Amino acid sequence: MPLAESGPPMADRNTFRLMLLILGVVFAFLYIPISVLVGLSFNEGGLPTAWTGFSTKWYGALLENDDILKAAGNTLIVAVFSTLLSTILGTLLAVGVEIRRRNGKWLETVIFAPMIIPDIVLAIALLSMFSLMGVKMGLHTIIVSHVVFNLAFVCAVVRARLKSFDWSIVEASADLGGSTLNTLRRVVIPVLMPAIIAGALLAFTLSVDEFIIAFFTAGAGRSSITLPMQIFAMIRFGVTPEINALATLVMSVSVVALALSQRLNKGGLPGQ
Amino acid sequence: MSDAFLSIKDVNKTFGSVHAVDGVSLDIHENEFFALLGASGSGKTTLLRMLAGFEDLSGGDVVLEGASIAALPPNRRPVNLMFQSYALFPHMTVAQNIAYGLEMDRLPRAEITSRVAEILEVIQLGHLAKRKPDQLSGGQKQRVALARALVKRPKVLLLDEPLGALDKKLRSEMQLELKRLQHEFGITFIVVTHDQEEALVMADRIAIMRDGGLLQVGTPQDIYEAPETRFAADFIGVMNFLPVTAGDQGFVARDGSVILADRVNGTGGAIAAVRPERLVLGDRGQNTLRGTVTNTAYHGLDLLLHITTRLSDTPVIARMTAEMADHLRPEMGQEITLSWSAKDTHIFPA
Repeated sequence: MPLAESGPPMADRNTFRLMLLILGVVFAFLYIPISVLVGLSFNEGGLPTAWTGFSTKWYGALLENDDILKAAGNTLIVAVFSTLLSTILGTLLAVGVEIRRRNGKWLETVIFAPMIIPDIVLAIALLSMFSLMGVKMGLHTIIVSHVVFNLAFVCAVVRARLKSFDWSIVEASADLGGSTLNTLRRVVIPVLMPAIIAGALLAFTLSVDEFIIAFFTAGAGRSSITLPMQIFAMIRFGVTPEINALATLVMSVSVVALALSQRLNKGGLPGQ
Repeated sequence: MSDAFLSIKDVNKTFGSVHAVDGVSLDIHENEFFALLGASGSGKTTLLRMLAGFEDLSGGDVVLEGASIAALPPNRRPVNLMFQSYALFPHMTVAQNIAYGLEMDRLPRAEITSRVAEILEVIQLGHLAKRKPDQLSGGQKQRVALARALVKRPKVLLLDEPLGALDKKLRSEMQLELKRLQHEFGITFIVVTHDQEEALVMADRIAIMRDGGLLQVGTPQDIYEAPETRFAADFIGVMNFLPVTAGDQGFVARDGSVILADRVNGTGGAIAAVRPERLVLGDRGQNTLRGTVTNTAYHGLDLLLHITTRLSDTPVIARMTAEMADHLRPEMGQEITLSWSAKDTHIFPA
C-alpha cells in the first residue's frame, strides 16, 4: 500500500490504520452536517424527514424572493468594497511593517489583534463607537467594520509572502533609477500579486458570511440587511428548504474563493 | 580638488559602535578596473554599498568628476550596482529586466528596444530574451544582471562578488569576459571580491581591505611581489614565513644562519617571507635551507613540495614545474637543499 510507505518511518502499519480511522471520524464530524444541508437543499419535498426526489426548485424559489435578492445585493456591495479597501490598506501595511520590522513586535500584535478579538466584542465596540460619533448606520458602517478585521487578514497573508521576499530587487530597482512609487508599482506589487489576490479572496469570503459584526453595525430597518442576517431572520420561522439552498450557495462562494486563495498562496493559512 | 575620476575621501561608516569602514581614502581613475579585496567583515561590501547609495556615510565624502554624490539617493546616481544575488526581477522577462533601467530614464521606446537588443547581442543571450529568470542557469542570470547594469552606461559600474555563485571553470571564463566588456564599454569597474586570484587576474589595481581600512593599494604585481604587511603577504597567494631575530649581523634564522633580504618592511623585523616559486633546488642563491620532503601535492601544472626544516614550525612549501618534477622525481623523506635570493626575501615586523 503506497500510502503506508509515505507515512512516518516509526509508524507501523497498524498505527497508520488507526490514524487513518481517527482522521476519517474527524472529517465525518466536520462534513456530514454540511453534506446533509447540501443534500436537503435538493430535496423536492422540502421536509428534512424524507427524501422525495431530486429538484432544484428551492433554488428557483430564491430568485423570486425579493428580500433574499436585496440581501444578496447588500452582501455583494459590502464584500466588494470592504475587500477593495482592506486589500489596498492591508498590502501597504504589510510592506510598511516588514520594512520597519526592526521596531519591535508590538506593532505586529496591534495589527493582528482584530483577528483574535472575539467578533462579539469587536461588534459591540464598533457599535458603541458609531453611536458615540453619531454616525448614521447602514451599509457604509458594515463596510468600515469589515475593513477592520479584513485588514488584519490581508496583512497576514501578504506578510507571509514577504517573509520569502528578496529585498535586493527593491534595491536593484532604486539602483536602476526607479523612484519609490515606481518600485512599488512595477516591482513590489507585481511580485506580491499572488499573495495580494489570495488575501483579497480571503477577505471577500470572510465578508460574505460574516454575521455578528454586520448585525450590530447595520443600523435599524431592513434596508441594509445582509445575507447571513436574512438567513438568521428566516430561521426564526423554522429551517425551510429555501434556507438550505441559500446556505449552500453562500457556502459555495466561500469555498471557491478560499480554494482559489489557497491555490494562489501556498504559504498556508494566514497568521502562521 | 583632486583630478581623480572618483575620489573617496576619508569615508567612515559606523553601525552602532562598530566601525565597518574606517577612514578610507582612495582615488580611482577613469576606465580603471579596480578591485576591493578582503575577507568577509573587512568592510569592502559596505564601502561598495556606500558608493551605490544604499548606506549613508557616517563621515567623509564621495566625489565623482568633481561633484559630490554622497547625498544623492541611489536612483539619482550615475552609478550602477550588480548585486551578488543578481536581484533579477522574477516577474519580468530577460528583455524586460534589461529595459527597466532605461524605462526609468524615460528614454524613447525605440531607443530602449535597440539598446536592449544590442546588449543582448553582446552577452550572447538574444535567444533567451523572452525567458523569465527562473528559467535561466546561474551563468545566464549572471550575464543578465551584468547587462541590466551595463545597458544604462553608468559612469561607474559596481560589482558585488560578481562571480561568487559560479562554478570554477565558468568563473575563469567570466573573469576574462568581464575584462573584455570593461574595455569595450570604457566604463570604470569597481569589483568587490574575497577571491585573491580573481582580483589578480581582472584588476588594474587592487585595494586590500582589513578591519574597515585599506591595507595596501597597488597593481596586482605590486601587491603580489611587494606586500607591505605580513597580512597582505599571507592573504595573496602562498607565502613561506620563517621566524628570524634582528641582530648585529642581520636577520638570523632559527638554525643560526643569516638571511639576506632586500625588502625590509618596518622596523624590528621578526619574520622573513619568500614565495614558493622563488625557491630553487640546490645551493645556488644567497639564502639556503635544508630539509626533508614530508609531503607532495600534485596540481597538474605544478607540484608543491612540503619540506620540514629547522627554520619554522610549519613546512616550507616549494613549487616545482611539472617539467622539473618529471626530471627530479622528488620522493618522500628525501633530503633536499633549496636556495633563494635576497631580492625575493621580505622582512615583516612581528
